[in-house]
Amino acid sequence: MTEPILEVENLTIQFRVKGKVIGHGGSRRKWKRVLNGVTFSIKEGETFGIVGETGSGKTTLARTLVGIYRPKESYVKLYGRRIDYTKKEDLLLLRKTIGIVFQDPVGSLNPRVTVSDIISEGIIAKGKMSDEQRKEKIVEAANLVELPASKLDSYPPELSGGEKQRVSLARTLIGGKKILVLDEPTSSLDVSIQAQILNLLTRLKRELSISYIFITHDLNVIKYMTDRVAVLYYGEILEQGSTEEIFENPRHPYTSDLIEANISFSSSSEFSEEKVSGEPSGEGCIYKNSCSKRFSACEKTPPYFSYGKGAVKCWLYDYMGERKAGIGR
Amino acid sequence: MAIQISSRVPLNSSLLEVRGLSVNFETIDRSVEVLKDVSITIGKEEVVGIVGESGSGKSTLAQAIVGVLDIPPARITKGTILFDGKEIYPQRDNNYNFRGKGINMIFQEPLTSLNPVYSVHDQMEEAVNIGSPTKDKKEKEEIIRKSLNEVMIRDVDTVLSAYPHQLSGGMRQRVSIAMVLVQKPNLLILDEPTTGLDLIIQRKIINLIMNLKREVFSSILLITHDLAVAANMCDRIYVMYAGRTVESGKMADVLHSPLHPYTAMLRNSIPEGYSSSGELKVSSGSPPDLRHLPKGCAFNTRCPKAMDICKEKVPELKVRDGSREVACWLYD
Repeated sequence: MTEPILEVENLTIQFRVKGKVIGHGGSRRKWKRVLNGVTFSIKEGETFGIVGETGSGKTTLARTLVGIYRPKESYVKLYGRRIDYTKKEDLLLLRKTIGIVFQDPVGSLNPRVTVSDIISEGIIAKGKMSDEQRKEKIVEAANLVELPASKLDSYPPELSGGEKQRVSLARTLIGGKKILVLDEPTSSLDVSIQAQILNLLTRLKRELSISYIFITHDLNVIKYMTDRVAVLYYGEILEQGSTEEIFENPRHPYTSDLIEANISFSSSSEFSEEKVSGEPSGEGCIYKNSCSKRFSACEKTPPYFSYGKGAVKCWLYDYMGERKAGIGR
Repeated sequence: MAIQISSRVPLNSSLLEVRGLSVNFETIDRSVEVLKDVSITIGKEEVVGIVGESGSGKSTLAQAIVGVLDIPPARITKGTILFDGKEIYPQRDNNYNFRGKGINMIFQEPLTSLNPVYSVHDQMEEAVNIGSPTKDKKEKEEIIRKSLNEVMIRDVDTVLSAYPHQLSGGMRQRVSIAMVLVQKPNLLILDEPTTGLDLIIQRKIINLIMNLKREVFSSILLITHDLAVAANMCDRIYVMYAGRTVESGKMADVLHSPLHPYTAMLRNSIPEGYSSSGELKVSSGSPPDLRHLPKGCAFNTRCPKAMDICKEKVPELKVRDGSREVACWLYD
């Protein structure tokens, strides 16, 4: 439980774009930085949440972790081993260990392949297995995600949204993955189905002791599901820490803006109308254009100030002394 | 010769009254009942919510009220709709034009309700012509700018000359609210107005609507799948399941002591605490397929309290404690 199984250090991803980039200071750069210095680590059996709004880079992060985007320099360590995205065996290890469930179950399941064939895609080294063994494994995986065996011969369009997400999960679990990246797994589902899937994920985590990287914009879900949270804003983690700490004592102005804006049964009617939402800043603190607590120091990029159970990237916490380029543990 | 019936006097102070509305969707091989005997009333200056999951018929109801239902495949088989005491369905009194200044609607995806080939300015102008047709050009210009300011758009000139695709989702939704605002409707129907928007923008739009309501609109009908959003906006709600109203009442009453098991399940589906707060109390099963509804109460296959009678007969919507209605055999 002590050693982190996945470490991400200073992950930076940039995409090449044509012409002017709007939204990153507006300068004429040819590269748009989608992730900037993202650092975190995950232990076995832990659920790590990533909250972010549109354009924060959450999906890019998810895709990089499973090797869909392959940065030239490596920033990812798995079981202490640095993953070189250009090496085949490293990529194989990555894919064996980390699975992904996408937001859109329609787009991630081939409509012309039966459910049992989709699930069997997840078995690595399929050739070494007899047909019966394979069949057995598929039924086992379907049971695990509470998918009725009668659905195994159906095609994805015949399934409901919740069942499709269960198929996606079964496909990932059958290969014995240790880390699941869940990219908005419940956003497209009805609320009662979302609750079923959240219950299922909680149960699977307990039974299989797997780790989740749970990516969503829904604060109620993040609060309920995760042990630790990182708040992502235009490619930068502004704050991370234990879930309770973040929700009870949000330190970064952006985090408190988010929590204040969140709608739940107990949400307060207090929400300042004057709150500006400016473009992310290209210089200094990235949130300074929208920040209500902006002061002179914000013209310079803040480092992370750690506070025991977490770290925050904001000059307001300069007094806490300890500065780090990345986020320590 | 048209018969004069517009002299009908409203019986009470309700602004909109839908009585026993039934809608079928008809295809070549079958007919599916999407709304079954739905009655709702909206009082003056009241915010009423309609909450339900997919397939509950909530959007069909809104479309039927505004009169934008696609007929065919839809067919209204039964029911009357009264607005401000005048009948707007099935017979429209004196060709009474209730849209625009009477009832106005904001859709979930503003891109589909804004015209992509006209600039924001031109579309706003059209709306102003409906709201205040007598004013001269200069005054109209002023109204446009004022309403964009009111929806917290700072860079008015840029937005006015932009086309819808050049704006962000939150900005588009604000423009469509501004367009409705200049028409000063008596009833505003919001169909999932904030779904798909970012958290901070969502909260801003909700606050904006509630503030404008105090100034301009007299009533709001909110259609949403999110009980938490409804809880923050509505005075009264109707909970719908498989095309029927299963429960209605004052928001606070329904939220704190839900009568129908389905309402309770919706309430429990939204996580509130940390992971230590235990499992979410939902039953298995998914929202109903309207083509294959179970016999009896449509919720009986998912209901934790289902009894024998639930599988036989559909419970009627009955009044309880004056202001509440529930359709469940538990309370018979």
